[in-house]
Amino acid sequence: MNTLRIGWRSIWRNKRRTAITAAAVALNTAILIVSYGLMDGMIVDTVHSVTNMLTGDAQLHAPGYRADRSFYKSVQNVDQVLLAARQAGIDASPRSYGYGLVSVGHKSAGARFWGIDPRLERKVFGLAGQMSAGEFISERREAAGDSETVGRDIVLGRKLAKSLHAVVGSEIVAVVQAGDGSLGNELFTVKGVLKSVGEEVDRAAAIIDKRDFEDLFVSKGRIHEVAFNAHGRLTPEQVVAALKPATAGMELFSWKQLLPALADMVNMFDAAIWIFGMIFFLAAGLGVMNTMLMATYERMREFGMLKAMGATPWRIIRDVSAEALMLALFSTAIGLAIGIGADVYFHAWGIDLSGLGGDVVFSGIAFNPIWRATITTTGVIAPVVVMWLVCLLAALWPASKAARLDPVRAINHV
Amino acid sequence: MNGMSCSMLVFMLASGAPVAAGAGGARLSAREMLEKVDDLYRGNSSYGKMTMKVVTGHWTREMKIEGWSKGKQKSLMRILSPRKEKGTTTLKSGNNIWNYLPKVKRVIKVPSSMMGGSWMGSHFTNDDLIKESRMSDDYDFKTTFEGKRNGEDVVDITCTPKPEAAVVWGKLVVTVRTSDMQPLAVLYYDEDLELARTMTFSEIKEMSGRRIPTVMKMVPADKPAEYTMFRYNEIKFDVPLKDDIFSLRSLQR
Repeated sequence: MNTLRIGWRSIWRNKRRTAITAAAVALNTAILIVSYGLMDGMIVDTVHSVTNMLTGDAQLHAPGYRADRSFYKSVQNVDQVLLAARQAGIDASPRSYGYGLVSVGHKSAGARFWGIDPRLERKVFGLAGQMSAGEFISERREAAGDSETVGRDIVLGRKLAKSLHAVVGSEIVAVVQAGDGSLGNELFTVKGVLKSVGEEVDRAAAIIDKRDFEDLFVSKGRIHEVAFNAHGRLTPEQVVAALKPATAGMELFSWKQLLPALADMVNMFDAAIWIFGMIFFLAAGLGVMNTMLMATYERMREFGMLKAMGATPWRIIRDVSAEALMLALFSTAIGLAIGIGADVYFHAWGIDLSGLGGDVVFSGIAFNPIWRATITTTGVIAPVVVMWLVCLLAALWPASKAARLDPVRAINHV
Repeated sequence: MNGMSCSMLVFMLASGAPVAAGAGGARLSAREMLEKVDDLYRGNSSYGKMTMKVVTGHWTREMKIEGWSKGKQKSLMRILSPRKEKGTTTLKSGNNIWNYLPKVKRVIKVPSSMMGGSWMGSHFTNDDLIKESRMSDDYDFKTTFEGKRNGEDVVDITCTPKPEAAVVWGKLVVTVRTSDMQPLAVLYYDEDLELARTMTFSEIKEMSGRRIPTVMKMVPADKPAEYTMFRYNEIKFDVPLKDDIFSLRSLQR
């Protein structure tokens, strides 16, 4: 304890120099904590957007479906797959897709129809919460007897609605080539318009109840995609592993395989934070090394005297290291306080990216325009502990120099 | 129409002086042969009934269709059967196509982005209905084969689009039977000069005073097991038709 106390007193022998070095180390620590928090926040938000809004942890398709999106390549044994998912505690939403034409008045456009189970889709994914106007479809209302008078609701992607000049309540005519080759056509009422959630959805999505889809496309219950969401209880890889036996012969992929560009971006963030960290640690370490070199150089006679009185080299190393450690503890404490403060701020208020213009879309996935930091134990502790080690390492050279001094020459050093 | 697919598909698309039938065995130039093929189904106006059979890997269906045409620009086609599509009507006027859907009682315009889409589930696109070109005007051509094939004297005329022609094909090869100047086949090549589809003609009969192939079969090159076949059951040329048949109002009747 004595050694540390002496170290603490020693660093304040030159108050200005220590204050400057401490400020630099504190600032570096704070920046590392905040940038880790923000980078991690971006990753968490990305993964959250992907897994909870639409794509899910993993998706199941028929072989070759993703390549040509053929209406006839549908997932087999959907019930078994859903059962296996339920048993593994994984939520699942089956979806059907078909292409066709939507028209409002004199405007018409191509669309990709989604047949979904509104109850499941709402429960498993967050698309229903992404409305810019109106509401998401609910379960189809069954009128007594006459199926023709049933209200058929449709939800449109943002750009599709815009190009059709469709608003909530607009009447939509849907015309499609049905699965039996016949011409399917039906009237729908726009129940809601989605926010921007990704290019493909924005441009083409026309979301309808699965029973309306079956009527329109004569689809005979064809399911083209099952999207799984474990809500963070399992990793995407565990989800794939858990469902593998029930989905033999079909294409089951985690979101990282489905959206490789996005997975790469997440990995790149991880790498970036490491490179970023190295630079900051190096800068802080050099600062500390300079300070300790100065501190030992100007006290050469003092160290010479200590050695003359019988101090071992180890004792000198210990003293100098203790000084560096005290400096590190003091500075990182300040850095920690600033870093956590900033993290809390960015977590609560975030950075509004919407001012950068347009939607923040990458790899077809729209991001939350408010960039928030996450606060994790690792993100806070790791920079501090590594900074301690860097400070100690930086002190080793000055310390060993001091330890190897020849007492006679050191005492006579001017 | 691309090349002549459409004048074949929808005989009513184009007008132009109908060629006197029975050019017979007289020796014709490549241009004259192409003009004859171009004008095979043309008249100032026409009315007809036909059967369209579409076979795909997933389904087979047959539709009965009646149609009217006036001039090059206007045509109207109405589906007579099956019941699900009965009354579904396509109006072509200039470069636009509208469909009337009796089930929902609405008219919708086919957007330009869907022009490449299938017409009524067939192997013809909406574009096929509206794109008009005459092989003899829009293509440079030369005779590339002359002689016997499958026991018949035939001539192959290879057409390459003129630089300024607004056509989607890279090359057409038209096979004409020399004995009566009837077309036997047209091969459509895409811009990479890969075979895209093959149209064959058969069952040459006399209808309304003209000898024409009454059956046309379109086979897409990438799906050789699929086809769309048209059979004319009835065709009349130069019938008196009022312009307002080809209006959005009449579409809904």
